Amino acid sequence: MDTPNPDNRGEFFDQFLDDYYAECDEHLFSIRRSLVALEDEVDTRTVDRTVLDNLFRSFHTVKGISGMVGLGAAEQLAHHLESYLRELREGTVVLSESGVEVLSAGVSLLEGVINARRNDQPIPSIDEIIERLKAISSDSAPSNIKTSTTSEPETSESDATAARWLVEFTPTAELAERGVNVNSVRSRLQEIGHLIQAKPVVRGAGEIAFEFIIATNADKTDLEADGLTFKPAPVETARRVKDTQPVSTIVPASVVRVDLDRLDELMRIIGELVISRTRLEDQVAELKRETPAAVWRSLHETSSIMGRQLRNLRDSVMRVRMVQLGEIFERMTFVVRDLARESGKKIIVELSGGATEIDKFLVERMMDPLMHLVRNAVSHGLETVAEREAQGKRSEGLLSLSAMTAGEMIVIKIADDGRGIDRNLVLERASARGLSHGNSEFDDAALLELICTPGFSTREEADRESGRGVGMDVVKKAAVELGGRISLATKIGEGTSFTIELPLTLAIAEALIVSVNDQRFAVPQSAVREVLEVESASTKALENNEIISYRGKVLPLLRLARVFEMNYQRADSFHVLVIGEEANAVGLAVDRIIGQREIVVRAIKDPLAQSKGIAGATELGDQRVVLILDTTALRQLAATSKH
Amino acid sequence: MGLTPQAEVCHSEVCLLTQMPDELKTNNILVVDDSPTMRRMVITSLGSLRSVKSTQAGTGLEAIERLAIEPVDLMVLDLNMPDMHGMEVIGFVRSHQAYRDIPIVVLTTKGEESSRREALAAGANRYLTKPFDPRQLADVVGSLLRAT
Repeated sequence: MDTPNPDNRGEFFDQFLDDYYAECDEHLFSIRRSLVALEDEVDTRTVDRTVLDNLFRSFHTVKGISGMVGLGAAEQLAHHLESYLRELREGTVVLSESGVEVLSAGVSLLEGVINARRNDQPIPSIDEIIERLKAISSDSAPSNIKTSTTSEPETSESDATAARWLVEFTPTAELAERGVNVNSVRSRLQEIGHLIQAKPVVRGAGEIAFEFIIATNADKTDLEADGLTFKPAPVETARRVKDTQPVSTIVPASVVRVDLDRLDELMRIIGELVISRTRLEDQVAELKRETPAAVWRSLHETSSIMGRQLRNLRDSVMRVRMVQLGEIFERMTFVVRDLARESGKKIIVELSGGATEIDKFLVERMMDPLMHLVRNAVSHGLETVAEREAQGKRSEGLLSLSAMTAGEMIVIKIADDGRGIDRNLVLERASARGLSHGNSEFDDAALLELICTPGFSTREEADRESGRGVGMDVVKKAAVELGGRISLATKIGEGTSFTIELPLTLAIAEALIVSVNDQRFAVPQSAVREVLEVESASTKALENNEIISYRGKVLPLLRLARVFEMNYQRADSFHVLVIGEEANAVGLAVDRIIGQREIVVRAIKDPLAQSKGIAGATELGDQRVVLILDTTALRQLAATSKH
Repeated sequence: MGLTPQAEVCHSEVCLLTQMPDELKTNNILVVDDSPTMRRMVITSLGSLRSVKSTQAGTGLEAIERLAIEPVDLMVLDLNMPDMHGMEVIGFVRSHQAYRDIPIVVLTTKGEESSRREALAAGANRYLTKPFDPRQLADVVGSLLRAT
C-alpha cells in the first residue's frame, strides 16, 4: 500500500489537489453564472433567494476544501465572500451595484489565487479585496435598490392550473442497483412538473420513504414508475409546505469525474484492440481456402461480430469523452460581460448549438484560442455605443457564438456585427513589419493568412483584452494541429466572422487504404468524395498539370508518387480519389485501392519525420507503418502548383 | 448485531473469518458531504481503520436513502448542504427508533460556534471542524465504533 502517511498532513492532502482544482472550477463556474443572474436582478431591483443560497454554498465549499489543501489565501477570501453573502441572505445588508462589483472582483481574485497555486506562481495579495468586502458588509447606508430577499419559489405560469400530486417513493437495494434512487426520482419529477416538496418519512416498522409534492399538467401515466405510488395532494399541505420550506432546485448529478489521461489510456487500449482485430480478420481471410466452408463461415462471423462490438465499445468511450459546448460558450459570455463592463460597450451575446458535443481533449486545446477570438471581437471588432450610433447601427453590438456538427467535423463560429477588418490597415502593417503576401488578389483567405503570421498584430501594443500570450498565429496553429482549419469572412462596417472546423474526435477514423508504387497510404474517408477508375489515355496535360474531365468539369490531378518523389510507372489505368468541394476539388492519383479500414491515428511528433501532406501514421495489423495523408495540405499543394 | 459463527466445515479463508468474529464485523461508515473532494478526503482518512468500509452521500436526502438500503454503523456528517441541512438529518435519525443509536460525527467548516452547541444538543456524538486532522478523525471514529 502506498497510502501517504496521514501524520504528514501536507503530503496527505496533496494527493487530492487534482480533485480540488476540478471542484473549484465547477464552483467558480456556477458562481459566475449566479453573479450574472444577480447583476440582472440588481437592475430589476429584486434579489432571488435561491441565487444567494447557491452563491453562499459555493463559497462555503471552496472555503472548506481550500482549508484542507492548505491554500490559506483562498480559504480566507472565500470566507469573507461567504460572510458577505450571509449578511445579504439574512437581510442585514442590502445588495448594491457596488456590492456586485466587489463580489465580481473577489471571485476573479479567488480564481487567480487558485490558479496561481496550480501553476506554482506567487499567490496574489487578497488584502485590498478583503478590506472592500468588510467595508461593504458594514455599509448600512440606504441603497437605492430594494432588496427583497424573500424567497419566491419560481411558480411557473401553469402552476395555478396544474394538478398537485403526492408522490411517494420507497427506496430499496434492488431499485438502487437499477439506478432508481431518490435523486433519479427527483430529477424525473422535476422534468415533468414543478417540485414543491421533498421530504423523508418513516413508516411503521422503520421503513424509510420519501414524499414529493409536485405540481404538473402531465398525464397521470407519466407519474407511473418503478417504486412510486401517487395520489392527489391534499391542498392545504401543499400550501403550508410551499410557504415554509422552498425546495432548492439543485439536482445533485450522479456524475463520476475521470482524469482525461485515464480515458486516453482506455482509448489507446481500444486502439490496440482494433489493430489486433484487423490482424485477426486478415488471418481469417487467409484461412478461407484451407478451411471447410461451414467452419470458416462461423469463424468469419465471430470475427465480424467482434468488429461490431469493438466499434460499439469505441463509440461508448468516445461518448464519455464528449462534452457539450454550451458550458464553454457560457464561460465566454462571462468574459464578454467583464470586458464590456470595462470598456463601456454594450454587447448582446447570442448563443446557438450549445448542445453540440465535442471531444474533451479538443475543447481543452481550443479553449484559449477560442477565448482569444472572443476577446478580439469585443475589443477590436465591436465599436463603442457612440461609434455605433453615429453609423446608424443599433447601440448594442451583437456577438454570436454558434456550433454545429457537419459530417465528421464540428463547426464553431464566432461572429460580430462590428467594424470589420480594415484590409488597407492590415496591408500597411504587414509591409511595415516586412511581411508580404504574394497574392495580388487580396481575399479573405489571404487576409487571414497575413494576420495569422507570427509577429503580426494590428494594435500598436497588444492591449490587455487580447494580449494574453495568444496571438492569431497560435489560434491557427492550434486548429491545424488538431486536424482542423480556420476561415474568415469580414466586411468593413458590417462585421467579422471566424469559422473553426474541428474533427469530432481524434484517434480512430475510417480510411481508404491505397497503394502507390507498392507503398501503402491511408486516406481519411471523410475527405474522399468519390473514387474513380481512370484510363491513362484519357488524361490531358494543361500548363504542366494533368487533368481529367469530371462531371462535365475539369479536375486537376495530383500524383501522389510525384508529391512524395517516388518512381512510378505509367499503367494503363489508375484510381483517382476526388477530394475537396466544387472549384477546389482535386483528384489524388494512386495505383490501387486496397480496401477500407478502421485506422488508429497516431500523430507524428518528431519534427524530422514530419512532412507536408502527411497527417500521421497508423498500423494495419501486419506491424508495418502506413502514413496517413493530410488531404487539406495536399489540396493546397495542388492549388499552389497551379500558379 | 453479533455474528452467528458458521458451524459448517469450511476452507481456509472462511475458517479464518469465523474464528475471529470481531475482525469479520465490517463497520459501514456513511460519509455525507456535498463536496466530492471532501468525501474522498474523509474516506481516505478512515482508510487507516481496520474492518471499515465507507459509503457516501452528497445530500441529506441521499444520506437517509442509504439508511434504508443497508445498515449503517456510523455517520460522518457535514452540516451545510443543499436541500436538507445536516441538522435536519440529525433530527430525522434521532427521532426514529430504528436509527436513533447510530453514532453521528459532525464534520463541518469552522466558523459557527453556535452550531456546535446546537448539533450536540440535537444528538450529534462528536463535533469536529474542517480543516480536519485525518489522524484525529480516524481516532474519533474508531473509538465511537469500539464503544458501540
